[in-house]
Amino acid sequence: MAGTGGGELKYEMAQNAYIKLVLHALKHKTSAVNGVLLGRTSPKNESLVQIEDSVPLFHNHLGLLPPLEISLIMIEEYYSARGLGVVGYFHANERFDDTELGNISKNIADHISRYFPQAAVLLITRSLKLYQKGKTAALLCRFVSYASMAF
Amino acid sequence: MVTKTEESQLNKLENQVENGGGGAWEYLCLARKLKVRRSDKVLKYGLSILNDSRKRSSLGPDEWTLYEQVAVAAMDCHAVDVAKDCISALQKKFPESKRVGRLEAMLLEAKGSWEDAEAAYSSLLEDNPFDQVIHKRRVAIAKAQGNISAAIEWLNKYLEIFMADHDAWRELAEIYVSLQMYKQAAFCYEELILSQPTVPLYHLAYADVLYTLGGLENLQTAKKYYSSTIDLSGGKNNRALFGICLCTSAISQLARGRNREDKDSSSDLPSLASAALEKEYKLHASDKLSVLTSTLKCLRVSS
Repeated sequence: MAGTGGGELKYEMAQNAYIKLVLHALKHKTSAVNGVLLGRTSPKNESLVQIEDSVPLFHNHLGLLPPLEISLIMIEEYYSARGLGVVGYFHANERFDDTELGNISKNIADHISRYFPQAAVLLITRSLKLYQKGKTAALLCRFVSYASMAF
Repeated sequence: MVTKTEESQLNKLENQVENGGGGAWEYLCLARKLKVRRSDKVLKYGLSILNDSRKRSSLGPDEWTLYEQVAVAAMDCHAVDVAKDCISALQKKFPESKRVGRLEAMLLEAKGSWEDAEAAYSSLLEDNPFDQVIHKRRVAIAKAQGNISAAIEWLNKYLEIFMADHDAWRELAEIYVSLQMYKQAAFCYEELILSQPTVPLYHLAYADVLYTLGGLENLQTAKKYYSSTIDLSGGKNNRALFGICLCTSAISQLARGRNREDKDSSSDLPSLASAALEKEYKLHASDKLSVLTSTLKCLRVSS
């Protein structure tokens, strides 16, 4: 639905996936939240990643390993039966003016990009920015205009 | 920290008020007693009482406590004007009050004038150096400005004086976890377990931190604390059950290359944990049972 460009890699995000993330962040206004993005590379165009769904993960203790491991295993199991894999990670910081991608997010995103080299990191701030892992240049794309269209 | 029964009672009241069934004052009292952060609801219901002069006068002397509660909730929701009105009403009634002075300083903080707020708090602390709320506001200012190391410093100084404040220890532990300083977080949880050994939440959090730290000894200790969590919570804690399976899997992965001499004799613990999990899932989420069984299989296979 929303398209972003830059370099050769493009990401397309389904409305459902986007809404789930934003609602999760809104529900827990006072803490950092994170989650995973699920999707696949488009069968027609290898440089297009379609983000079909998302799963919100936590809203406290983001840096603890046991819940993360269990949830990632379960998500992989559940979604591989539906043909989707983990293609990215999303994160929203505790403070609204904090636009830095912290260490925890970097570690998790690194881990994801080991399995899916074109993984994306979505950092929710006041306007949405998309960081791409696995490439030397960071891509910043704005979803703001699409957000106002979607609602 | 709030127990499950208290939380469900609060939610029930909230639903009742939301659907027009009355009971706003009881809700506000309970929210104040439990110290939960439901500022949008508190603001809405509190204002509905305060703006109605009949309801307001029927409160009697509790009216001023309500003003204070609504002021704090308004500041949390960034309704600075509402907060200002409440505080001016309180100022008129209690002109020289330190408690109102504290609210005024919090208003400065809510508006974002950090230096003025800091100065106000310091002067208030000179008169009363044992005001816990003001100490904690200083930590909050540091955190809001993004200065996490200053927040940690202030919080440590606070805990040197008020060692029994469990919420502060928890906050410190969470800050350390967010910075990936797991050893320090473990220390905080150790303090909490020492002072309140029967609260399963601390055992669970401690076990999680130990697992994250890694290493054979930490994993074995984590397994013990997951077990104690299950013991203390009557076997209902799914996270602890999962933790046991994870620990077993990780320990056997680590111990694969080494001597198997110190292998756990309680080898039926993971199977008991998986059986308990399967039972829970059958009861509450039977459509996700297949996901659970394949996850457990994956953990056992990798061990």
